Amino acid sequence: MAYVALIPLLPAIGFVVMAPLSRATRNRLQWLGLAGVGGSLVLSFAAFAAVWPGGHEGEAAYHASWPIAQVGGVDLSVGLLLDPVAAVMLLVVTVVGACVQVYSVGYMHRDERVGWYFAVLTLFTAAMLALVLADNFLMLYMAWEVMGLCSYLLIGFWHEQEVPRKASQKAFLTTRVGDVGFAIGLAVIYLTVGSFDFDAVLGSAASWAPGVATAVALLLLVGAIGKSAQAPLHVWLPDAMAAPTPASALIHAATMVAAGVYLIARSLPIFEASGVALTVTMAVGAASALLGGLLAAVQHDIKKVLAYSTISQLGYMFLAIGAGGAIAGMFHLVTHAFFKSLLFLGAGVIIHAAHTQDMREMGGLARHLPVTSVTFGAGALALAGIFPFSGFWSKDEILYAVWHNGHYFTFLVALAAAFVTAFYVARLWFRVFTGPVQTDHLAEGHAEMLAPMGVLAAITAVVGFTALGFSEFLGHAGYWPDPAMAIVSTLVAISGLAVGWWVYGRRHLVLNTRALKDRAGHAYTVLAQKYYFDVTYDHVIIRPYIRATESLSRFDRTVIDGVVNSAAVLWKTAAEVAWTFDGRVIDGLVNGTARAARASGGALRRIQAGRVQTYLRYVLGALVLLMLWIVVKGA
Amino acid sequence: MSETVNGVVFVILAFASIGGAVGMLTTRNIIHAAFWLLEVMVAVGGLYLLLSAEFLAVVQILVYAGAISVLMLFAIMLTLRCREDSVCPVEISIGGGVLSAVFGTVMYVAVARYGDRIAEMPASVPDTAALGELLFTKWALPFEVASLVLLVALVGAVWWSREED
Amino acid sequence: MTEIGPSAFLGLAAVLFTLGLYGAVARRSAVMVLMSLELMAVAVNLNMVALSRFVTPGEMTGQFFAIFTMVVSAAEIGLGLALVLAIYRQTRSVELSAIDSLKG
Repeated sequence: MAYVALIPLLPAIGFVVMAPLSRATRNRLQWLGLAGVGGSLVLSFAAFAAVWPGGHEGEAAYHASWPIAQVGGVDLSVGLLLDPVAAVMLLVVTVVGACVQVYSVGYMHRDERVGWYFAVLTLFTAAMLALVLADNFLMLYMAWEVMGLCSYLLIGFWHEQEVPRKASQKAFLTTRVGDVGFAIGLAVIYLTVGSFDFDAVLGSAASWAPGVATAVALLLLVGAIGKSAQAPLHVWLPDAMAAPTPASALIHAATMVAAGVYLIARSLPIFEASGVALTVTMAVGAASALLGGLLAAVQHDIKKVLAYSTISQLGYMFLAIGAGGAIAGMFHLVTHAFFKSLLFLGAGVIIHAAHTQDMREMGGLARHLPVTSVTFGAGALALAGIFPFSGFWSKDEILYAVWHNGHYFTFLVALAAAFVTAFYVARLWFRVFTGPVQTDHLAEGHAEMLAPMGVLAAITAVVGFTALGFSEFLGHAGYWPDPAMAIVSTLVAISGLAVGWWVYGRRHLVLNTRALKDRAGHAYTVLAQKYYFDVTYDHVIIRPYIRATESLSRFDRTVIDGVVNSAAVLWKTAAEVAWTFDGRVIDGLVNGTARAARASGGALRRIQAGRVQTYLRYVLGALVLLMLWIVVKGA
Repeated sequence: MSETVNGVVFVILAFASIGGAVGMLTTRNIIHAAFWLLEVMVAVGGLYLLLSAEFLAVVQILVYAGAISVLMLFAIMLTLRCREDSVCPVEISIGGGVLSAVFGTVMYVAVARYGDRIAEMPASVPDTAALGELLFTKWALPFEVASLVLLVALVGAVWWSREED
Repeated sequence: MTEIGPSAFLGLAAVLFTLGLYGAVARRSAVMVLMSLELMAVAVNLNMVALSRFVTPGEMTGQFFAIFTMVVSAAEIGLGLALVLAIYRQTRSVELSAIDSLKG
């Protein structure tokens, strides 16, 4: 079973080999990344087969730990833990990762830094796999931060332009806010338990003081909120769409943003020990699900629609876990990873074909991009929650869990979010694929772009039927969707689609949303301003900070410099007194010495070439001679 | 565990640090060179961890990887007139090559001859609390002198780098 | 895996020092020379920390020396870069060969 260690190592080796090469060589060796991820994919299937049939929650099929060093009297070790949850996540990450790598070959082929793109993408995959397999919080945190770095590098991949540069900084700093909370949470964990191991920490969580459990859970939640772009730290994700589209598909849709959900699911015993934290998680998730969905409904940039949709769907997962449906939340994570990355890859083809990201300038693409429209349609129906696509199953499980556990208000919010989701899916679809054609030279994507989309679409179509097996694999009783619940959710989804069609699908209204805007009035402005989150942060945090630094610098210039200057005046007077003494008495002595030195200097000036490095050579040469002497003499 | 050093990790870190140093010396772009140096610094920080010198490891990351690398990058950026300035050919110096070859040979002989006098790794592991205590008792005077050195260097650096006006 | 003794650390430090020595002599850019000097300082520190661990783990003498070396090299790099900036302002160049006003 030691091959489990190779799963994160293969892509990591790929990165290590690619990173130091020159740009041209790296571009030629871009397939190395795909080779690494492909190897991980094969090994992940083997690992999954080894765990199969699972069914025992928390029982590891493989657990190994290698000590590295002793730090402060405590062993520092790297450990891998392969249990059913990890096995499922491995499959998700490697399948989506491999699809994105293949797709990128076609998408990025004209970029001159394509090699670096693949290197970072591969490093990201390695970090995500390490995070999934980590057996302790510290390693998880390390992988978490490496992913943050890769996200930063990929968002700012086109760093010659202003927007990606700014977006990468925003993403890095915003997630950092959450990461600080995570780090403090880790410190509290260590203080409480004296270990970072999942076994030790989660096993004892139930016996912690309730205050400690709540504090740790909330701090971990802060980290998860930052990484998973939940309200109120969601502002970075829409801007992160400046990244190359396939990178967005992998990082900002399928894997990294889901790491927050994974963290909460992993540390669920802590959350359960607290109770309060679960409610907070549910509230954050519900708020993000609804707000993100509403924002997605007013965006014009096709990638931003998908970004807000991701926030909304991740909110669904938080909500599910908070409401006690952790399995449902994890299942939604899996299905969402497939259909959302599929949607992003489709959006990439659309952007390539239409040469714009603005949906108002698109239309009628269905006839020209047949393969894309079919696969994109599968993803869209899954997102809307239509039978038999995967989103239907997982969303249904979540709704059932929320209802079953008696959170009726949250249930209503979740239904509303489902309605909005179906609405913006319809808006996206009808805007882009129907109506008059607005651009010429429409061309379908390359084969290497369409093939991964086909794979993901096939998975999206069938993975929902594993709902029962998924629960049992993770060690919980599975059940088929409740018929009543299925009818309710399908009705909600269909009505959302219908409203979307009514607003955007009827031909004469395609380009005219002004009427709707006028009617919605104030509400539309609030949405278009993204609830003023960015404006608020700018006014409350960034500008006061700059003002404070300015006043500090004024203080420096006036007060501190004044003190220093007056001290200087004092010194100057004292120095003048000393100077007169110096000139009369000391100089007389010195001049005599100087004359002698001058004579000898004249003889020595020949070796003064004036070059610093020549002197350096003398010094180092002398050093070498000294060493030689010591060694020969035998110390 | 306390009496040995993890060989795999040591080899990885050794390769990383030597690779970083070689990369620094062979790259044509001086900004890349600064990042290669950063890699060496981080790898050496990892080696300190292997030697249970966790305080030094943290200081190494903070001071070298954090402060000095940033300072280097600032100096590089401030002395570049344009982007192309950062790229210059790698000069081969025969004198330097001979000098370092001789030095390397001497060091090899020295390590080979005397390195094995201490073979066992002592079991007692240094810890940060003891280090702090010693630093402020036995080493208090050098510590104060070090702070003075830093102050003087700070003033000197400000003095030298200010704009003439 | 063979035992990693002090020789391994000393050898690694020697390699790093040798590389730094070559860089300090061969490169002409002042910043590159400063970076090579840093490399040498790090190699020395590694030596001292390793010897401290193997010889005096209790007193940690080598670790203290390494701390003070770090202080000195931090001061050195700050001053060195300030000098580079000052020289750059005078000569519009950071090439060491361009500076020969010390010529006697």
